[in-house]
Amino acid sequence: MEPGIICRMVTAPIDAAALAAEVARNSDGAVATFAGQVRDHHQGRPVDHLEYHAYPEMALEELRRIGADLAARHAVGRMALVHRTGTLAVGEISVLVAVAAPHRREALACCAAAIEEIKRRLPVWKKEFFADGGAPEWVFGPDEACAAAGAPHPPAREITRG
Amino acid sequence: MKVKVRYFALVAEITGCSQETLELPAGATAGGALAAAAARHGRLAAPGFTPLLAVNRRHAPQEQPLSEGDEVAIFPPVSGG
Repeated sequence: MEPGIICRMVTAPIDAAALAAEVARNSDGAVATFAGQVRDHHQGRPVDHLEYHAYPEMALEELRRIGADLAARHAVGRMALVHRTGTLAVGEISVLVAVAAPHRREALACCAAAIEEIKRRLPVWKKEFFADGGAPEWVFGPDEACAAAGAPHPPAREITRG
Repeated sequence: MKVKVRYFALVAEITGCSQETLELPAGATAGGALAAAAARHGRLAAPGFTPLLAVNRRHAPQEQPLSEGDEVAIFPPVSGG
């Protein structure tokens, strides 16, 4: 693994400021960060908390592959790709990307590409626990895909309850 | 040949276990491992549900050939982030 790419699967809370500081060098004029956090609602239902499950060995390897791919395509310095698993409360950070670069455009572009790749490839799954007392449900695919489809994969929901 | 099959998230709930060893014919593919798992756990083959596959900790297409001792993973579409 390239020494400038920090990849971690963690269960403890993610410290975004510490990771941003960890990737920045004095030669970098920009540090772009993206933090994904637990939202208090999903498709009109109030969310109480989420459980994140992972295929941990593959997830770490996949983070490293994503980091290496990005480093080859973007003129950036160090980066950090960190995902948390376990039970997360509303407002807690589930995923953090931090990218340092000499200039802002590359830092921002690489940061945006990183979170898209993580959502597309990382073997992690979230289960939503609702504040309305309903049964918990697995989320399938990126939020954007579910929202675009207008429904949370009804067949899978039937499987869950079947 | 024997392969180790691991299940995650909803797939693990369906199978009721996190891993098992499956005996597959020589020349079997990742899709063949999925079919063998679905033969044991019928709800894996429910219409409209398409599990994803990984072989030795890399995403893999159904047609990827397997070797003795491979680690095959079967899981739902990912939803991290």
